[in-house]
Amino acid sequence: MKALLIKNFLRSKGLMTGLLIVFVAGLISLNIGKHFLDKNKEIIEKTAHYQQESIARNIEFHPKEIGLLLYYLRFGLVNEMPNLAGLAIGQRDINPSLQSVTIRNLEEQKYATDLMNPMYQMLGNMDFSFVLIYFFPLIIIALCFNLISEEKEEGTWSLVLSQSQNPLKMLIIKILIRFISVLLVIVLLFVIAKFYLDIPFNEAFLAFILNSVLYISFWFALAWLVASFHKNSSQNALILLLSWVALTIVIPAGINAVTVNLYPVPEAFSTVLESRDGYHNKWDEPKEPTVAKFHEHYPQFDQYKHPEGKDYSWLWYYAMQQMGDDEAANDARSFKEKLKKRNTFSSTAGIFFPSIHAQLNLNLLSSSDMDNYLHFLEKLENFHEQKRLYFYPKIFTEATVSSENWKRFGLESYQEKPSIDWIKMLFPVLIMSALCVIWANFKFRKV
Amino acid sequence: MRFTMKPMRIAILKLLSEQVWSSKIKNSSTLWLIGIFNILLLFALFSGFRNLNQQQETIEHYSHEVRERWENRPDKHPHRMAHYGYVAFRSRFPLSFFDFGMDSYVGNAVFLEAHKQNTVNFSEASLSNGLLRFGEISAGMILQLLLPLLIFFWGFDLVAREREQGTLRILLTQGISWSELILGKSLGLFALALSIFTPSVIIGFALLFFNEFTSENSQSYLRFIMLIISYLAYFFILSVLAILVSAKANSSKASLTTLIGFWLFFTLMLPKTSQVVGQNIFPSPSKIEFDTTVEQELIKQGDSHNPNDPHFKALKDSLLTAYAVDSTHKLPFNYSGYVMREGEKLSAETYKKHQVALVEKYQKQQNVVRFTAFLNPYMAIKNLSMALSGTDYLAYHDFQNQAEDFRYKLAQTMNELQMKYISNKTKTSADKKAIISKKNWADFPDFHHQSLGFSEVLKNEILSIISLIIWTLGLIFLVKYFIKTLKPF
Repeated sequence: MKALLIKNFLRSKGLMTGLLIVFVAGLISLNIGKHFLDKNKEIIEKTAHYQQESIARNIEFHPKEIGLLLYYLRFGLVNEMPNLAGLAIGQRDINPSLQSVTIRNLEEQKYATDLMNPMYQMLGNMDFSFVLIYFFPLIIIALCFNLISEEKEEGTWSLVLSQSQNPLKMLIIKILIRFISVLLVIVLLFVIAKFYLDIPFNEAFLAFILNSVLYISFWFALAWLVASFHKNSSQNALILLLSWVALTIVIPAGINAVTVNLYPVPEAFSTVLESRDGYHNKWDEPKEPTVAKFHEHYPQFDQYKHPEGKDYSWLWYYAMQQMGDDEAANDARSFKEKLKKRNTFSSTAGIFFPSIHAQLNLNLLSSSDMDNYLHFLEKLENFHEQKRLYFYPKIFTEATVSSENWKRFGLESYQEKPSIDWIKMLFPVLIMSALCVIWANFKFRKV
Repeated sequence: MRFTMKPMRIAILKLLSEQVWSSKIKNSSTLWLIGIFNILLLFALFSGFRNLNQQQETIEHYSHEVRERWENRPDKHPHRMAHYGYVAFRSRFPLSFFDFGMDSYVGNAVFLEAHKQNTVNFSEASLSNGLLRFGEISAGMILQLLLPLLIFFWGFDLVAREREQGTLRILLTQGISWSELILGKSLGLFALALSIFTPSVIIGFALLFFNEFTSENSQSYLRFIMLIISYLAYFFILSVLAILVSAKANSSKASLTTLIGFWLFFTLMLPKTSQVVGQNIFPSPSKIEFDTTVEQELIKQGDSHNPNDPHFKALKDSLLTAYAVDSTHKLPFNYSGYVMREGEKLSAETYKKHQVALVEKYQKQQNVVRFTAFLNPYMAIKNLSMALSGTDYLAYHDFQNQAEDFRYKLAQTMNELQMKYISNKTKTSADKKAIISKKNWADFPDFHHQSLGFSEVLKNEILSIISLIIWTLGLIFLVKYFIKTLKPF
């Protein structure tokens, strides 16, 4: 019987075309991912080059004062993109993976966006995670919606019932054949991805594969459950399609709408205003309090003073810049807190919906999620601070421009190591799939 | 050639469409679906409206704050004021609650200062985690994306099942023509779609009416009417398509798979792949490339903060000759203000040149997607709907332009104040004599983001409009052509 069922499946032109379509869609998505990775690499290479060029040019134009030179010089920090991100681009096409900053106030610089055509961000990428989350379930639905009902509608069900002692066994074999064939497609895609995108086989990649396989299994479990209701083909199709629309479109968008409404982020705007006033207003205020506040922040620079009676000094100038950051610090902190709250809310709500859970997990493993970006911002703050601490004494002592080896200021980079919480990652989908199967078996036994 | 088409009889069309309506409506699952869709739309409209109001209030609040802080700056040197700058916020169009379009992907706030064009930051997308990529739930999305699925689901078996049950032949032998059958059934399906569309139109109108910001934009009503007409055309096109596929298919199952295949291809595959194609044919520069090219040009133009910059020497010499004086101190206006005015002009022109080139590139990329509208009515309605809702790229680009114009005007007004009031003898901006009254700040008008005019929006979307018209008319020809190939059994 097994051989016959396999033969039947392989002969069915429609089913084979379905598998071929997802396979091709998968290949296209790998190509899109490859393009994305290449483009990112190109941007980083170019920036590394531009940074050197720009430093050299600025030294040529401002060779005398190091304080003035550092007003212009920009230093880049790269948020390294693992090749796995080619499979799940996530937020990487919205948040820049590289930020170049001067040592002036950071708040005015750190939220600068990359140039992007917003139509593309709106339409989104067709990366592998999209194919997995949207297309694979549809193929599974097409493969399984008439598991029993086709036999009933073609009149072969009564034949099965009368001839086989265990009709359930036949159904299990039928769905297993379908499961294995979809699994083969996905494994094949991963093998191709491994070599085409040059993905190292590490813990993250393994977790990525497991998440994908579990997500696929969930849809088979759901199809199995629907089959156990013994409804006709079009009712099955309707139930499964509605589940698909709900899980991949309506619920995620609904949770997003709730998140946006629950946690508006006016802090984004107030941070801008505070940092602007924090710096610019100091021009019109007496210099002493500004410099005093600066010394309070950095006691180690106590020995540098603003020359009395002078209209201007670089110490005073950078102290004003510093105030831009210091006075916006509270708003910037609550801004970040808000983003974290948003993130926690939607990922907690997402646990109950395999589509959301899978997407967020895949993004996390590919370092293309919101958390990664927030970590990068923190790193950027450290990076900026280090540059300041290094250059401040040189500026205040009016070191000569030529005394510094500028060549060594290349791009620096931050590499995120995603922390994998296996239980939190895999358990919710496992439980849900198990519940579907248990309920289905209960239903099957009743008939 | 004999003309075989008989004129269609209204009574027959009415009968056929009523039959579709009553056969579907007696099914409880139909009522459930209508209910679910209406609840979804209601949720989308109200949460969109709430969000719009919240955003608009936040923007009003911070715009006031920006203005207040601007006017309350003490007496000072005008160039310091040019650096203090302004913050401009993008206000929403009153209809934007209906279709979110690109709103969440474009920035909301931009810091405007002398010499420098900053990016518009804080898009909703940059404040969101991966969930946004699943799409947003707006009335526009439900009507463009989900309702077609429902139309296909209701329509796939309308002819195919009659054929399977043998009732199709009876209908045709009773003298009902194929074109009457197809149009009649399509109208029935269209009526079902209206049962979902109509309530949302009424609520949409009410929300538009009760939005306090609508009064500033009376064209919103006109745009909404146009929006309704476009959606009606879209639903009609889809209804006829569904019936045509149902009439052509071998079985109702084949009809369903074909229609769902169409839906997937046109709403998910084609838009995404066409955007990738567009990006690859017309690659656009990254921020760093763009900035470096601009910087390279600017650095050659010299430093306008430094009146002794060699690049401005020629300018100085010509001024001295024109005013017949031997030193810039004797000029009748503030010389460094003059140099900065010229510098601002040069740098703004340079930036604008590159910005225009960039936007042209974006538009070329977008045109690849736009042109698919001739194949894909979904793309036509999507573009048209967001344009009319004021959430398309044109609306955003217009905001960017207004903000840049304002920035330029601010910088130049401050430079002119400097030329007029500041003596050439003052050495630095900290000098007591280099200070002008704060009254001048209040005299400088506030930033007001104006919405685009109705005709400009239509002009930009002419492609989508033509595409919808071609589809509507084209279907009539398609029906005529198809009739010849259709079988009654």
